Amino acid sequence: MNKLQRNPDIVWRVEKRRQQAVLERMAAGEEGGDEGTVILLISGMMHQLNLLGGMIWTLCDGQRDIEQLVTELQKEFDVDPTILQADVQEFVADLVERGWLSYDQSTD
Amino acid sequence: MTNPLTEQFSAPLTFNWTLSYSCNFACSHCYSREEQCAELTLAELKQIVDRLARHQVPFINFGGGEPLIHKDLFALSDYARQQGLNVSMNSNGWLLDKQAAEQIKACGFRSVGISIDSADGALHDDFRNRPGSFDRAVNALDELAAAGVRSTMSSVISRINYQNFNDLLDLAREHQVAQVYLHNFKCSGRGFKNRQELDLTPEEWKDFYLEALKVKEETRDLLISFDDPVIASLPGYKENSLVKGSSCGKLSLHLRPNGDMTPCGFIPLVVGNILQDDFEEVWYNSPVLNKMRNKEAKGKCQGCGAYEDCLGGCTARAFATTGDLSEPDPHCWK
Repeated sequence: MNKLQRNPDIVWRVEKRRQQAVLERMAAGEEGGDEGTVILLISGMMHQLNLLGGMIWTLCDGQRDIEQLVTELQKEFDVDPTILQADVQEFVADLVERGWLSYDQSTD
Repeated sequence: MTNPLTEQFSAPLTFNWTLSYSCNFACSHCYSREEQCAELTLAELKQIVDRLARHQVPFINFGGGEPLIHKDLFALSDYARQQGLNVSMNSNGWLLDKQAAEQIKACGFRSVGISIDSADGALHDDFRNRPGSFDRAVNALDELAAAGVRSTMSSVISRINYQNFNDLLDLAREHQVAQVYLHNFKCSGRGFKNRQELDLTPEEWKDFYLEALKVKEETRDLLISFDDPVIASLPGYKENSLVKGSSCGKLSLHLRPNGDMTPCGFIPLVVGNILQDDFEEVWYNSPVLNKMRNKEAKGKCQGCGAYEDCLGGCTARAFATTGDLSEPDPHCWK
């Protein structure tokens, strides 16, 4: 229950080349986390998600709740778990409000 | 010079796909009626779908030629949906009866566009050189609505309709159309031959767009879309386009029936073949595509304050009339 699911009407794509470049820059200790690595196409408009947002979006496949998202992301980002949890909650709340993500309320 | 936005995209968002140039109509403005090209087998067409899916191209739009003439349209569309692509098409509507609408629904088409150039049936029939074509097109819209398929209406703006485009919007409303595309006139193929008779003057284009943008701003019950980069030079224009200038070669590519890729259907410059060439090599390194992405102001565009927004307007129109991708759009009123 409370698994996060992407709105199936939203067309999206991971921009792998851009994502790879951002990851390489971050590995080298450079900034770069704010560049779009996932694009969403909604009603003829394009929206971009940065590396963290894109990873959250990709993980919201109806199989994970917020705690599980944070656990997965913790493997990729070397940050304080409390801060990461807060960032994820804020991002998810925003996208739920927009109707781009929803909670699957069914029980396991 | 690199374009950060283009560099970001790993592939086009849309492939406009001409499966065949065969058509049951002979329209006065058609870019492709006199084209001839080898066609591919269903197995080869499916290979193309596999490549598009591998490169995460989200949308394909069948055009032509009349897509409903093609014997493999539904099998291919069904396959493309299974591979995760979003499928749409543009049709003249002649063959789109109840059975076709149900097949379209079953194949999972995202939307179907029907071409209607005038709300006056006789005028549309005359323009399309096919008596009865207006009634069949309107019926196609109704069949799509009955089958629960999202329909759009495509109207090429020309001398026959530019003063009466509101009638087209009313027609769309009457037939549950979700979105109307008011396409700019392209000077390609028959459109080039008949441009003196059909095309507007730059000042007429300006007046048309000023009025049409006002109507769009006031309209709430219908989506109205334009695909003409030249309007970016109008004062107060605030559409949030995905890219500046022509989207061809930046957001979309065109596939000819033999798998050759061109920047768009109106620019007959082959940049590669989807089955034979390395797609990423073509997408990132084609000299033609890169020239279109990095246009340099020429002629009256040099020093023009609007250039930053319109990037010279429609590249296809410039190329058709001058042979140079970077020349100013002949529709430009500035």
